[in-house]
Amino acid sequence: MSDRKARLTITVDPRLSAYAEQLVAEGRAPSVSAVFNDAMEARIQRERRQRRLWNEAAERADPGKVARMMAHVDAQAAALLRGE
Amino acid sequence: MAVARFDASIMSLMQGYDARGQSLVVPVLTLTGASLDVRTDDADDLLEGLERLGNAEVAPVRDAEQATRLAEVIARTGLDPWDAHVAAVADAAVCPILTLDAAKWQEHARDLDEPLHFIQITDPDEAPGGPGAEQTDPDEAPGGPGAEQ
Repeated sequence: MSDRKARLTITVDPRLSAYAEQLVAEGRAPSVSAVFNDAMEARIQRERRQRRLWNEAAERADPGKVARMMAHVDAQAAALLRGE
Repeated sequence: MAVARFDASIMSLMQGYDARGQSLVVPVLTLTGASLDVRTDDADDLLEGLERLGNAEVAPVRDAEQATRLAEVIARTGLDPWDAHVAAVADAAVCPILTLDAAKWQEHARDLDEPLHFIQITDPDEAPGGPGAEQTDPDEAPGGPGAEQ
């Protein structure tokens, strides 16, 4: 993937735009683009963390126990479908 | 909700159903209740991570009609808002409730006009009395597993 910045046209809520401009005016961000860049990066990191936690759970789980639980759920679901 | 407590077995089970393409409906107030129960950033990350499952859908309280319907379910069942939202979604979607606490749902199974159906998540090998010890008692046949509790 190229490091060259992509030019996008986006629409944002007025309060978010105002906040981004305030950050720039206060010297807390170099540009409005940088604010939105950082926000997207933060979202990527948060979603990665969420996926990692779920993957860790899958690695920690006892596959035999999970298979028994799923079979038990499936049996109950099948019984419901049969009207038992 | 077991996910907020990082219950690896339950999370793996949900991933297993997701991989099969099984739809899971997660009433949004269930997430609120689970987050309130645990109150850690990791728990919130785990709960938000539910949305990363490809076949999981978070069911909102979308509009005034759903809000008043939820109030009706709370009034009729006496359940807290988190569980009542599960009941409301299961009732509307005609899908069973996946639960770790079948006794709670047994108690409220007939509180609404149509019976609520539920499926207990448990390892039969660990259930009191051994394999197949506990059973649900459904009267009618709804669709596949859906509302998650």
